[in-house]
Amino acid sequence: MFAQKFEYTAPKTLDEALHLLANGAKPLAGGMSLIPMMKLRLAAPEHLVDLRALKDLNYIREAGGQLHIGATASHYDIESSALLRQKCPLLTETAAAIGDVQVRNLGTIGGSVAHADPAADYPAALQALEAKFVLRSEKSERTLSAADLFVDALTTALQPGEILSEVIVPIDDTRTGTSYLKMAQPASGFAIVGVAARVRQNAGKISFVRIGVTGLSNRAYRATAAEKALEGKTGSAADIQSAAALVARGVDANSDLHASADYRKHLAVVHAARALKTALSRIA
Amino acid sequence: MKISGSYTLPVAPERAYQILQDPAVLAQAMPGCEGLEQIGPNEYRMKMNVILAALSGKFEGKVRIADAVPPTSFRLIVEGSGRIGFLKGDGLLKLSLANTNPSVSTVVSYEGDAHVGGTLAAVGQRLIDGTSKMMLKKFFDKLVSLAH
Repeated sequence: MFAQKFEYTAPKTLDEALHLLANGAKPLAGGMSLIPMMKLRLAAPEHLVDLRALKDLNYIREAGGQLHIGATASHYDIESSALLRQKCPLLTETAAAIGDVQVRNLGTIGGSVAHADPAADYPAALQALEAKFVLRSEKSERTLSAADLFVDALTTALQPGEILSEVIVPIDDTRTGTSYLKMAQPASGFAIVGVAARVRQNAGKISFVRIGVTGLSNRAYRATAAEKALEGKTGSAADIQSAAALVARGVDANSDLHASADYRKHLAVVHAARALKTALSRIA
Repeated sequence: MKISGSYTLPVAPERAYQILQDPAVLAQAMPGCEGLEQIGPNEYRMKMNVILAALSGKFEGKVRIADAVPPTSFRLIVEGSGRIGFLKGDGLLKLSLANTNPSVSTVVSYEGDAHVGGTLAAVGQRLIDGTSKMMLKKFFDKLVSLAH
């Protein structure tokens, strides 16, 4: 089907884009979610502002001991970045697990995060990384944590006229291992459940654990009870199992024709255990 | 799709029952509601503009209240359709006094069936459960703020 008629602008500068967005236009990044919805006429924005041409939104760089990723960096840019592979392998692994080659070539990290699909892959990794998000509008700039940004299904803290301009992730030391593991829905590649694990070991004990879960409920979240259960332990198979058992506890899991709520919870436990084991095995 | 759940409203059951059937309150609490107009006894015409991220769609439909037993229960029958799909729902709402100390509150529990069809259901199946929970949460959160 064809989309409804709409106006299209590809501004040269971010300021110009923010000005148009302040006047009610809708941002377009990779278009991997928005364009299909427009073709199905589930969405009918009157004015699209294409952010892909903005050079000042497409970068991956290290600064001030952190990694800064511009919103229009594509999944492929992230997957193939030597800098990220070396300093934040969790993000390259996650990007490589998204959809298919075509989606990864066009889809962007900013678009995926702002769309906040409850089954998207990045949010699990970004929760585990305790990423920061820079939100800009014509008049303001603010930085939010992952916990504050992801509000509900398809809902973020982004206000009308505001765009996500940058994702900031930390650089871990060599005592840290990470892993992202998911059960993919075969047709779309979306995560039925996806778990990102990030663990640090010190003198034989696990000193730091972050677990991000996506696909299970309306928003990706950090499984803090499971994190606490594993901290201070040696990371034996039994330690991992009893921590993983807590990842879905108390979570309002969603059902669809691919997986019931109970099955999703089961998958979350199994994938958390495997992701934690892999993350531990990757500690240098 | 079965839907069920419960929410607590910080008012007595009589007041909770009253606001749950007050078109002015409902019109404000339903996400995207653009108008609720009485067309018969216990029957209302509803206009909604649902906006969810990039997705948006106008719906028109009817809301009907049946089997009313004030202040403990009633059935709510909702039918709506628009270009992107249709929605049918039939649910029983039960109200019970939850607490009188330190302040009075009422538990509203609901149980029913909902059907979503059309393009919306065909392509958005995996999002229906989550988004309907979110809409209900928004509705009750707003109701709490309007309850006093």
